[in-house]
Amino acid sequence: MLSANEIRKVVEERNVHQRGTGKKVLDVREEMYHLEEKGELIVHRIRPENRPVELRTLFGWTKRIPTDRLWHHKSCGQCGNIPGYPSSLLWLMNETGRTYLNEPHQTSCTAWNYHGTATSNPVALAAVAARNFHRAYETDHFPLIHCGTSYGDYKEMRKLLVENAAVRTKVREVLRKMGRDLVLPEEIVHYSEWVHAMRPEIVARQKHPVHGVVTTVHEPCHYYKMVPEDAVYDDAVYAGQRPAVPSGILLALGATVADYSTWYDCCGFGFRHILSEREFSRSFANLRKIRPMVEEAHSDVAITSDTGCVTTLDKSQWIGKSHGLSYLLPVLSDVQFAALSLGAHPYKIAQVHWHSASAEGLLSKMGIDWRSAKAEFQEYLRALKNGAAPELLHPAHGEIEKFFAINKGQVLPDPEVVPALSAGSATTEGGPAA
Amino acid sequence: MSIVAHLPRRALTLTEEEAAAPPTMELAGRKRATAEERALATTIFGEFHADSRHREFVLGCLNCGECTTGCPAARFYDFSPREMLQIAQNGDATTLWDAMQEKIWACCQCYTCNMRCRFGNDIAGIISVMRELSVRHGIESTRRALAPFGRSLTLLMTVGTQVSSDMIQPDFFRDWGPFATGSDKVWQVSADIMRKAIPSDVLQTTRSAWEVSVQTSLELFRIYEETGVLDMLRGLDPDLTEMLVDIIEERREEFAEARERFGEELKGMQGPVATFSG
Repeated sequence: MLSANEIRKVVEERNVHQRGTGKKVLDVREEMYHLEEKGELIVHRIRPENRPVELRTLFGWTKRIPTDRLWHHKSCGQCGNIPGYPSSLLWLMNETGRTYLNEPHQTSCTAWNYHGTATSNPVALAAVAARNFHRAYETDHFPLIHCGTSYGDYKEMRKLLVENAAVRTKVREVLRKMGRDLVLPEEIVHYSEWVHAMRPEIVARQKHPVHGVVTTVHEPCHYYKMVPEDAVYDDAVYAGQRPAVPSGILLALGATVADYSTWYDCCGFGFRHILSEREFSRSFANLRKIRPMVEEAHSDVAITSDTGCVTTLDKSQWIGKSHGLSYLLPVLSDVQFAALSLGAHPYKIAQVHWHSASAEGLLSKMGIDWRSAKAEFQEYLRALKNGAAPELLHPAHGEIEKFFAINKGQVLPDPEVVPALSAGSATTEGGPAA
Repeated sequence: MSIVAHLPRRALTLTEEEAAAPPTMELAGRKRATAEERALATTIFGEFHADSRHREFVLGCLNCGECTTGCPAARFYDFSPREMLQIAQNGDATTLWDAMQEKIWACCQCYTCNMRCRFGNDIAGIISVMRELSVRHGIESTRRALAPFGRSLTLLMTVGTQVSSDMIQPDFFRDWGPFATGSDKVWQVSADIMRKAIPSDVLQTTRSAWEVSVQTSLELFRIYEETGVLDMLRGLDPDLTEMLVDIIEERREEFAEARERFGEELKGMQGPVATFSG
């Protein structure tokens, strides 16, 4: 069911059909450089400063994953209601000595809304993607996409911008009106790919062994079912027949990754359903995902690597009690699990208190003294209430950045140079135009 | 004969005005479409087939049903991706119109059908095209389907994030249990303090998923204006759209004031700050 071999067959079939139209290309990455030569766009290259690691995609292509000097493309669902997700990732970056920007100058991809309400269109989605890409480019930091839907959407938009000249022209026109230009990153990188690439460095810092922990993985649909040829696979994970993320980090940390019959099913998020028809989301999550995870695999924790999946699988369980489904299986993102295993504070960093299904039993199994941590967090909240300054993972932004996407010492494209790009002017090799 | 001819038809949804009007001719217990609806259905059908994505997404169908077998929505709704694909491929204006009344909104957009389809059809994609058309033409059933999204659309259009922590109110998310809102009641502090305890300053807000700079939100709105999204929304909900325009007008003023306030610091800066006109 949806093995790598089967998905490859479908994608190849689609490519054969679509390339018959004469407009389609198999690997858009090659075509990006041709368009750059023609002055139609700028490719944001991964440079040695980004310390890239090579991984393999479904089609056996090499994908370079930048591991340093990153621009965090946050997820609205993660930041809004499961904030321990992004903070665990930032914490892991601090622990492994990676540099990054976490800015207020980013919008979401807006694709949650598109897939939920359709109140947008492909040109708008492509322009939103390109605006964020340009902001990352002008800061000279490589974009790292936190959300599975943003990742899938941005791959679709990159493909659209490469294959469709009319959309490209329109988007470039819109961007120029705000002093920006069309930039496409060399790779669209999901944070879980960063985690996979960083496994050795993460595992080297492990404090709490997780050998006794049985995990079940929910594979986010938009990670591997949207533009599937670009998703990362690894022969060491399910013999290369399922995506390598997030199972790879769990195996590396020593956890058991248990299989269950409905691994390929979606979580029930549904985009609009999670807000306006939750009776569907909670039924699907409880009956098709949580129940098999617990009853078939005897799971201690469900691990996933996307916003909507953590939300749906976690928040849908509490109400299950009304139908006798009292599983309350903890649901965490891969980075929360990894950060906890490395000794991150369960409340200050992993922020497990935002989850509906309590993680405290799991913490005990991992050998984490959550009672002391909880008391400490309670004390911290009291201090905050009394006006103490919050503890931060990175320096706070100044007042001016509430308004302006300012230059923080990065090389900005010269406004005199950027508009001339369509006339064929070259960019500096390997980085932003100087 | 096409398979579509055998598919069950759903009744057309009534507008409030029609519901209040005297009964009109009924066929097989269901109200017939008005002349106006039939004309709109024909227009939509034409636009649907003229959309270049139709040729790219609909590649053929064996009616094997693999798509529906793996579809999460098919388990809980009167919905089938195979039916949607058949309508996209062989349907007429009426079957398309019928599907757009309700069924298109059952799809989860998980793309599982796409991955199971031996023809490589983009079924989730063609359903999105149908949805876009129903929004663009402001059809009544779509207004109703999207009525609960006013708050999230406001947030999305003005700051570009879909949710904020203050949207997750216990009254509306009672089924999520007592801990879903950062458990501020359990911890005996305000929601603001719970957000302050997140170790990143840009996340310490309850009104948006993260703090979005004014420049960024104005750039986003410019995108919506330039790409027809605002006009699309106006067709669906004119009042909401006017409210959004007012909010953005205020943000533009705020931006202009900030430009004066930070004038000295901004001098000499290059890039978007120097060129963005709001």
